[in-house]
Amino acid sequence: MKIVVAYKWAPNPQDADVRPDGIVDLSRAKSAVSEYDPVAFELARRLADATSGEVIGLSVGAASIDTSLARKAALSRGLDRLVLVADDELDGADSTRLAGVLAAAVTAIGDVDVVLAGDSSIDVAEGQVPLTLAGHLGWLGLGRVSAVTADGAALVVERDLPGGVSVLAVTTPVVLAATADAVVPKVAGMKDILAAAKKPVEVLALADLAVPTAGTTLTTLATARPAGGVRQAVLFDATDPAAAASQLVGALRQAGAL
Amino acid sequence: MNASQTWVVVADAPAAAGLVEVARTLSTEVVAVAAGPRSVAEALAHVVDRVIWLGEPGDLPVEAFAPAVADLVAAAAPLAVVGATTPAGRALLGAVAARLQSPVVSGIGSVELSGGQVMVTRSVLGGVSEHRTALVGGTAVLAVDAGAEVGAEGSPVPVEDATVTPLTTARVLETKVKEHAGVDLGAARTVVSVGRGLKAQADVALVAELADAIGGELACSRPLAEGVDWIAKERYIGISGQHIAPDLYLAVGISGQLQHMVGVREAKVIVAINSDKAAPIFSQCDFGIVGDLYQVVPALTAALGAGA
Ligand SMILES: Cc1cc2nc3c(=O)[nH]c(=O)nc-3n(C[C@H](O)[C@H](O)[C@H](O)COP(=O)(O)OP(=O)(O)OC[C@H]3O[C@@H](n4cnc5c(N)ncnc54)[C@H](O)[C@@H]3O)c2cc1C
Ligand SMILES: Nc1ncnc2c1ncn2[C@@H]1O[C@H](COP(=O)(O)O)[C@@H](O)[C@H]1O
Repeated sequence: MKIVVAYKWAPNPQDADVRPDGIVDLSRAKSAVSEYDPVAFELARRLADATSGEVIGLSVGAASIDTSLARKAALSRGLDRLVLVADDELDGADSTRLAGVLAAAVTAIGDVDVVLAGDSSIDVAEGQVPLTLAGHLGWLGLGRVSAVTADGAALVVERDLPGGVSVLAVTTPVVLAATADAVVPKVAGMKDILAAAKKPVEVLALADLAVPTAGTTLTTLATARPAGGVRQAVLFDATDPAAAASQLVGALRQAGAL
Repeated sequence: MNASQTWVVVADAPAAAGLVEVARTLSTEVVAVAAGPRSVAEALAHVVDRVIWLGEPGDLPVEAFAPAVADLVAAAAPLAVVGATTPAGRALLGAVAARLQSPVVSGIGSVELSGGQVMVTRSVLGGVSEHRTALVGGTAVLAVDAGAEVGAEGSPVPVEDATVTPLTTARVLETKVKEHAGVDLGAARTVVSVGRGLKAQADVALVAELADAIGGELACSRPLAEGVDWIAKERYIGISGQHIAPDLYLAVGISGQLQHMVGVREAKVIVAINSDKAAPIFSQCDFGIVGDLYQVVPALTAALGAGA
């Protein structure tokens, strides 16, 4: 099967500098393959190996997603090749636009059977892009996929849903978003990193892709730093755990929290 | 655009009170489209002005109706579309968003209509900033918490049948129904939460005893629920899990990553127990004990018992 893994090269907002007026500066936050996306790489690799298939990494975003570090980080995780759309016009793009560019790239790649994605991205964390991507492609999109295996030309997909585990027979093409704990991804070793340098990378120009124009756009009118951030942080030392415990209980009683 | 309508897209659960509530804030006619069993449409009929039902899904996953929902919504071109942040809700919203070329807006705090335009407050980038945002130029697509099951107060409107063609590329073979933990962390005044500082599943008991002694509910960080499966998924706190605002939140062996802490930002008092003095949680708590949870937790349970 021809499998595309959509992954995001993104910073952790934990490392962002947030100004008092709520403006977010991410320049000091280092980007990486988004935390849960290696789960999708691993599911894809196993499915490809079982079907003598191919795994193509796909990421879209600002020009900064295409560095040699970023390429290697993705290619060392079981991919056969990589396709990127890296254009500063996509900096801060909303989920529908990102999904639209991904869909256009999937169409450009051609004959794709399965698109696999992660649960949610480390910076935006909405779990929306894969399902909007399915909408753009007109394919079925299924979230919370905990297992996927080949059954001839079809798939057996397990989903971990609030009501229980659901098992489905699925024919391709399909978009599948994995749960965070579907599989434990293999850690890239030195050999994988060296091999990554030799794998093909194709950069698609945004201008060459058929991306629909936005119908609704978001205009930010005001920003603010969320309230409730500052807490007093009174710390007790636990050299004597019993003493620390009774100090804490006393402090909580005084604060009216018990 | 038809500014006199707001659409609510509902997947397979009658838990849609949150969607209807948000739709009502826009003061338009509210039209619901229900993908899923007829019972869902019938429940909605009590709380909306029109309800459209797409037929019994049988063994199709509800996501198979996403393109059909998008067709109906696109034909109506309403002021806004409201759906749930559940997996199926996001699939319906994704199809709608792609059809209308409108971003799905999430993390919503409040929604209002101002000068004919939908405005929201929302938290962005994992909650590090709050934005006031106008949705300009077309239909607003909003993802919100599904909320409780809709009540059957008013007299119902008739359910309108729509004949649609769902995708037929997937069939549900089997559903292994899981016992619902049935917890309502949101209602708990005190919550005791544990993270990866715990070394073994058996040790959950240690923290559960503390929760008992303090009269609180047990909760956890995501890795303990999705990762090692030691605690029910309904009990993890954070951006992808529960958002709570208890009077007291006691975090045991939790480092204090943004994605976790955003779920308890509204807690009155936060207490941290962590062996690493440099753990980020110590700058986000009201009180903390720097120490080994295996010593501190039993001591705290004992201290609470002694004081009672
Ligand atoms: C898109 C996305 C969404 C996410 N959503 C969520 C979410 O909703 N909720 C969530 O919780 N996480 C979420 N995460 C994960 C989050 O980023 C953190 O990885 C996670 O919260 C860490 O859990 P933890 O604090 O239990 O573990 P760790 O970060 O590993 O921390 C364990 C802590 O235990 C302490 N410790 C170790 N031994 C002891 C001891 N004996 N006594 C006392 N302390 C000890 C350590 O010092 C450490 O601080 C998300 C991540 C991503 C990328
Ligand atoms: N810009 C992007 N490029 C490629 N894949 C993406 C991008 N953004 C999101 N994804 C995929 O969609 C998943 C969910 O992202 P999100 O909707 O941002 O939470 C991620 O885990 C990725 O697999």
